[in-house]
Amino acid sequence: MKFHWFHLMPYPHLPDDFKEKYPSVWVDAPAGELYDPVKGHQVYNDYLDQLEFAERAGFDGICVNEHHQNGYGLMPSPNLMAAALTRRTSKAKLVVLGNSVALYNPPIRVAEEMAMLDVMSGGRLVSGFPVGTGMDTAFCYGANPATLRDKYREGVELIVRAWKERKPFAFNGKYTQLRYVNPWPVPVQNPHPPIWIPGGGSIETFEWCVQNNFLYAYLSYWGYENGRPVMDAFWETVEKQGGDRNPYRAGFLQFIAVADNDEHAEKLYAGPAEYFYNKCFHIAPQYYNPPGYTSIATMRKGLSGQVVKASANLRGANVKWKDLLDAGCIVAGSPQTIADRLNDMADKLHVGHVMVLCHYGNMSNETVYYNTQRFAKEVIPKLRNRFSEYEDRWWPKDNLTDVQKPAPLAAE
Amino acid sequence: MLTREIVTLPGGAKTQVFRGGKGPSIVWLHGPHGLRGHDPVIAELTKRYSVIAPLSPGFTDLAEIDDIDTVHDLALHYDALFDALGINRIALVGHSFGAMVAAEYAAHYPSRIDKLALLSPFGLWRDDHPVADLFSVPYATFDTMLWKNKKASAEMSDPADDPNDPTEKAIALAQAMTTVAKYIWPIPDRGLRRRLPRVTAKTLIVQGADDAFVPALYADEFANAINGSKKAIISGAAHMAPYEKPAEVLALLDGFLGK
Repeated sequence: MKFHWFHLMPYPHLPDDFKEKYPSVWVDAPAGELYDPVKGHQVYNDYLDQLEFAERAGFDGICVNEHHQNGYGLMPSPNLMAAALTRRTSKAKLVVLGNSVALYNPPIRVAEEMAMLDVMSGGRLVSGFPVGTGMDTAFCYGANPATLRDKYREGVELIVRAWKERKPFAFNGKYTQLRYVNPWPVPVQNPHPPIWIPGGGSIETFEWCVQNNFLYAYLSYWGYENGRPVMDAFWETVEKQGGDRNPYRAGFLQFIAVADNDEHAEKLYAGPAEYFYNKCFHIAPQYYNPPGYTSIATMRKGLSGQVVKASANLRGANVKWKDLLDAGCIVAGSPQTIADRLNDMADKLHVGHVMVLCHYGNMSNETVYYNTQRFAKEVIPKLRNRFSEYEDRWWPKDNLTDVQKPAPLAAE
Repeated sequence: MLTREIVTLPGGAKTQVFRGGKGPSIVWLHGPHGLRGHDPVIAELTKRYSVIAPLSPGFTDLAEIDDIDTVHDLALHYDALFDALGINRIALVGHSFGAMVAAEYAAHYPSRIDKLALLSPFGLWRDDHPVADLFSVPYATFDTMLWKNKKASAEMSDPADDPNDPTEKAIALAQAMTTVAKYIWPIPDRGLRRRLPRVTAKTLIVQGADDAFVPALYADEFANAINGSKKAIISGAAHMAPYEKPAEVLALLDGFLGK
């Protein structure tokens, strides 16, 4: 198994009465009222430090993602964050779980920036192409939900083709027409960095991932037991499409809370976890499911309801630590307890890539480092050999060995 | 009772048209609720007119709008349909989304439309009086924005008479609202204001005084842009004015269209 340290970069200074006072953390939460850029300066630097620390602690990858107009995640441009990380890390792979391809015009911009990151990092990039949430795409960027998925698919096709062909061609698409497709630079990884598709359980996405050999990453906040129907449907599709049952085809996201024991976990993590689920997930229901966002096939399969239903259940409720444990959202406790639960997850979901959330909500630096360090030292070694019989074909090969290191900062 | 007819258009696309009633012919373009078997306004109209009611492409199958990307494509679609039906001079009545399409059609093909009735139309925009975001409520609850008392009448509350399965009902609603969204997202302004002066039809604009979606002053916006048009504001009604005050709206239509 591989473990990737995923930062959502929430805004940690939302007011205590945020949930009562504002209808949504996304789309229309007023930035000028809620976001303090002076505090924000400290927050960005803390968050980048934490990602860099995760590399030193021994995580395989460090992850950033893309969201817009919200207090849930402060990375409208994940590429800016990844660019900062290329200079201060050298081993960890950079898992960029943006870019929402349909939002870029032309999408070749994504091919360019991703290639820049791959070249700057010496071939350490994993390129993620999410559709993007309803909030980010339809509401914040005005993307038409009726055509969003079609436009997204066409954009990904264009990017992959540009990386593969590496010579000029004309592209006559429905949403993008380019006479000369010829992006510079080309990525170090040939033909291109591994492509990961973060998803929320759309049935067509499974088929598309298998057909194109993309990794499917199920980013659920509701724990691995709740993730089973979606991952079962994914593996069913893999089988139907004739793909091998290689666990490295798939990724899953999991909240982690390492402590001495269960009581200690509550003491350390209840506050930040409740902050996340009560404030960062306080999303007005009209925003996460605009018409057309959930496909008809997915509605027929009955998969769409899960995230929406869980979000709806949380809405209005004052969620407590115990609720989150009971619902299976957070895996908490001693390193042994966590290793046992993650083994159980590996049995049930058959996923080789785990995106670990060691930071959430308004967690203090001290707790983040503690959680990260103990997970890396005491949990990862217990699971390292899980799935070692499989080849991971969705991961960067060796980096360039003679990677140019950043020069030390000039002495004052 | 309306009868259903499948019409094949040049290029092979198939589309549904419902017909019923006796009298002078009118074409009815429906709103976001689609064509429902128990639509009371259509039932009244069929007592006076021979009603031709095309079902908007997309409402029962989203694949139908794969190649209908814009309002211009919609105008082309209806033009092909009217050709296929062999109707030349048209009295066109549209409600809500259907009124936007009707206005677009009349602006694209002015010589084909004799009379144009726009009931609660949209498609224009004023920064100082923005049209409300129809999608600022979960789309399954859009009735809360459209009716004066914030809920649909009994006849119009059920998204589909058939099938009865709740998943299929949810899908019918999703298809209808996805279709509407395609032509109005994120702001219902595709440049109609520039095209409205092309309209030559005798035009009536009807709007509910308490429309929470499209402010009533938009009736003036349409009236000012369409030469020689008349407007009527229905008090005590909202966006669903023809359904909320049917007697008043039908009387206006009778006066305008002639029985």
